[in-house]
Amino acid sequence: MYRIRFHGRGGQGVKTASRILGTAFFLSGFEVQDAPRYGAERRGAPIFAYVRADRRPIHERGVIRDPGLVLVADETLVAISAASVLEGVGARTAFLVHSGEETQTWRDRLDLAGPVVTLPVAGPHGEGLEARYVGAACAAAAACLAGVVSLGAVEEAVREELEGLADEVIARNREHARWAYGLMEPLRGCVEPDPAHPAGPIPPPGWVELPFEDARVSAPATHAGVTSTLVKTGLWRTVRPVIEHARCRGCWWVCGSLCPDGVIGVDEAGRPWIDYDHCKGCMVCLSQCPNRAIDAIPERDARGAESAGGEK
Amino acid sequence: MSETRFRTMKDLPAAHLLGTGTAMCAGCGGLEALHQIYDILGEKTVFINAAGCMTLLAIYPYTPFGGSWLYSAMASAPAGAQGVRDALDILLSKGRISPEEDLTAVVLTGDGSAYGMGLSAASGTIERGLDFIYVCYDNEGYGNTGQQHSGATPHGARTSTSRGRSGFPGFKKDLFAVWVSHRPSYAATVVGSEPLDLARKIEKAKGLRGPRLILALAPCPTGWDFDPAEAARIGKLAVETGVWPLKEYFDGRVTFTRAPKKRLPVEEYLEVQGRFAHLFHPRRNEVLLGDIQAQVDAAWREAESQGLPEK
Amino acid sequence: MSRTMLTGNVAAAWGARLAGIEYLPAFPITPQTEIIETISRWIETGEMDCRMTTLESEHSMVTAAGAAAAAGVRVFTATSSQGLLYGMEMLYTTAGWRAPFVLVNVSRGLSSPITLEPDHNDILAARDSGFLQLHCATCQEVLDGVLVAYRLAEDERVRLPVIVNMDGFHLSFTREPVEITDAAAAARFLPPFDPGNLGFRAGAPLSEAVAVLGGSPYSYFRYQVHLAALNAEAVFPSIAGEFHRAFGRPFPAVETYRCDDAEVVFVMMGSFATKAKAAVDRLREAGEAVGLVRPVMLRPFPSAALREALAGKRGIAVVDQNLSPGRGGVLHTEISAALQGCAGPSPVLASFVGGLGGREIASEEFCEMAAVARRAAAEGRAPEPRLLFTEAERKEMRNLQAIALARGARERRP
Repeated sequence: MYRIRFHGRGGQGVKTASRILGTAFFLSGFEVQDAPRYGAERRGAPIFAYVRADRRPIHERGVIRDPGLVLVADETLVAISAASVLEGVGARTAFLVHSGEETQTWRDRLDLAGPVVTLPVAGPHGEGLEARYVGAACAAAAACLAGVVSLGAVEEAVREELEGLADEVIARNREHARWAYGLMEPLRGCVEPDPAHPAGPIPPPGWVELPFEDARVSAPATHAGVTSTLVKTGLWRTVRPVIEHARCRGCWWVCGSLCPDGVIGVDEAGRPWIDYDHCKGCMVCLSQCPNRAIDAIPERDARGAESAGGEK
Repeated sequence: MSETRFRTMKDLPAAHLLGTGTAMCAGCGGLEALHQIYDILGEKTVFINAAGCMTLLAIYPYTPFGGSWLYSAMASAPAGAQGVRDALDILLSKGRISPEEDLTAVVLTGDGSAYGMGLSAASGTIERGLDFIYVCYDNEGYGNTGQQHSGATPHGARTSTSRGRSGFPGFKKDLFAVWVSHRPSYAATVVGSEPLDLARKIEKAKGLRGPRLILALAPCPTGWDFDPAEAARIGKLAVETGVWPLKEYFDGRVTFTRAPKKRLPVEEYLEVQGRFAHLFHPRRNEVLLGDIQAQVDAAWREAESQGLPEK
Repeated sequence: MSRTMLTGNVAAAWGARLAGIEYLPAFPITPQTEIIETISRWIETGEMDCRMTTLESEHSMVTAAGAAAAAGVRVFTATSSQGLLYGMEMLYTTAGWRAPFVLVNVSRGLSSPITLEPDHNDILAARDSGFLQLHCATCQEVLDGVLVAYRLAEDERVRLPVIVNMDGFHLSFTREPVEITDAAAAARFLPPFDPGNLGFRAGAPLSEAVAVLGGSPYSYFRYQVHLAALNAEAVFPSIAGEFHRAFGRPFPAVETYRCDDAEVVFVMMGSFATKAKAAVDRLREAGEAVGLVRPVMLRPFPSAALREALAGKRGIAVVDQNLSPGRGGVLHTEISAALQGCAGPSPVLASFVGGLGGREIASEEFCEMAAVARRAAAEGRAPEPRLLFTEAERKEMRNLQAIALARGARERRP
């Protein structure tokens, strides 16, 4: 059975990628399951989707915990433990990441034993891979790496899954699918189907007796205030608003009030500051700043600068 | 509003009370309004929530509230406020809590509940004269389930259940008028992109007793299909084009608090939202655009015929 | 102590009054309305210190009840039938809040077709909500049941809302002599509500009934409701014992009547079970070893007490005043499950559905049911389930249908 997991952010087409791949497998005569998985989080938050494909009926269900292939549409997710990108990645798991870095860098960084491949950020024409085509590219890459789905099946799946969109959009997606499929040709078939069940002894599930607990503790109630700040929604952000203090006129009541999440505070000198642990990167502050004193920095670069500067 | 402590934007709260880290979408216009509202209402409040996007403000064990919160159900949040308020009154009258421990009951609801399933409970609660504040974040559709049309969806908007060339064929219900017909102590429309107007209204509502409505337009990047960065701009355009009149009802009279001197054409508001893109592409739908402009103009003409706006 | 003629509804109101309820969210529905009318009159005359709010629906009524209980006051409410179903979402919801209060349900058959007469499908629809359930057979039990219910609900080992159930008309509108418990003794039995850490207060943040993500926390919270309900079975005997000592009246989880040497027993709930008692007496006079087992507590399900009561019986006639379409009687299913896997010879169960929509169950029908159960026991084979429905009723239906299904008189004119 092929077990393939896509990781991305809400709004990046990860669900579409899983559906394109699922349909492509289906068109190639496989039994298939595909499904997205998202919780309460919204656009920008880490989500994943998965595909199972087999020649025999599939009886497994639910989240894939032992993937044969993991595809990451947004490399910033890898460092986010809550995104669980590396969950179940084993010695045979193939790993594809949409990244400008070398495969060896990723292999070393993550200590990966299986095949590692990157989907270059340059895109098919060297002008950068647009976010809206990453899904189709990842689906096509997965098809080629599995080695049992033809490019024709992928292109047909793109057409089926994007039906209703403008012809030009479909054509561009197919173009990106062809590009990604071609890039993977040297590694074609590196993802092998895994057995239906893991070999060896069956570990016990570790059940416990759940004891009665007083309603004071066992009701779904939180007796502490403002605990939401423990959730670092800054991880949703792909672009970071940075206040350029040289240009800032200190009218914190504009950005501070308009920021939907209330993450802009004021320091003692009356200058606004941004709580990056929780800023979701909506950029309302940037668009509303009367003096255009806020810049947009890609999160990748901002984090890079931070680690270069030795900051946390 | 001469006695307001919010004379200029500089008087707005600098520190924010509502916790960060909630699951609302980036650029949520509802959250933009809510955090401003919470800054002024403060933590001596108990929010009774109706099922909607903001159900997910509090996910065990995380809550953004320094005050209290009770999740009820989609239809009956005002009844939850009734039960809490009645209980607090009982406890106060018996001396089991002190007046300092008292809280203001605040219903928090989306338009899906406020304009539909929860309307009967709200109506009953206003009619009983309950001392409570009712906050509706109106994103003009069942946003939490993917923006199907609700009783608050405007004419012509595309929703996930009105995808045709003309969008939603119905018309947005006038919830403000529904409330006013009940003669509440206060009712106001607000939008998070006009923080000063909002602050003054929350301040005024806070100083009153009885049923009070705060109806907040909630520009929704996910449901309305626009870049999250545009949330505040779209809120402002809603006011400047006259689509969302900022007004209040008090003492039997409706007052317009920020009537635009000259209203911008309504299409400036429409063309920046994906949910109205079919009115412009592949070709302009002049008839529908004209209809929508005419509805806005007619609403303002009617207000003016009653001697409004006067502010 | 003196006894007074009271309807079941007024007995329920007395139970609430003696319990010192502080809050009554209300909504009228036949045949429950007399309860809230009675309490509202006492509030007006100053005999009760209670706040009453009439909501605009039962859904809102149960919401307000749960919310006020969660805020830390003693709450009572009442409904019936369609009203219970209209509030059903909030039964499940408020049970999960772990905020104890008591709801009296006056059982009435469910639509469609709409009817005013009693059966138990309304209350059984709430079976899995997390509310505990006490089923009363007399007006006295209604009053007693309300007091016992508060002790059970508010016990810190339980902390769940409780429904006290009575049958419409047969109890709600039927007067019987009822001993009205002395108020001081009632207050000793049921001290003021200690809300624990429930309650909304300035300076004490509480986010109540928040959402969960994922099956594990959900499993934990729901299973805690189950464990709390199971605890109610364990703490019930001591509460009932205390009640018995205080007032001289037993309030068992399972009532047994002439069961000790019985070979065949009826199993029934609610006020119609007293008809079974009458039949037991009649059969006993005829020399037959017949008895009655009546679950008073349905949730938690008193499995151990039922097994004990039913041990050694040869035939059991389960009389269900409800119908689960496509399955049959609900109580029959529950009794079968309780007896499954018990040591010793298994009794044979005979399933009867009767008394739907208030349909009478005649004495001779009980005698026949006992005979069927006895024959089944002798043969060692359960009979086909039976609806109690006679030839006379069939004829009556045919007459009604002759009118309903004929073309209208006007059309038949030439």
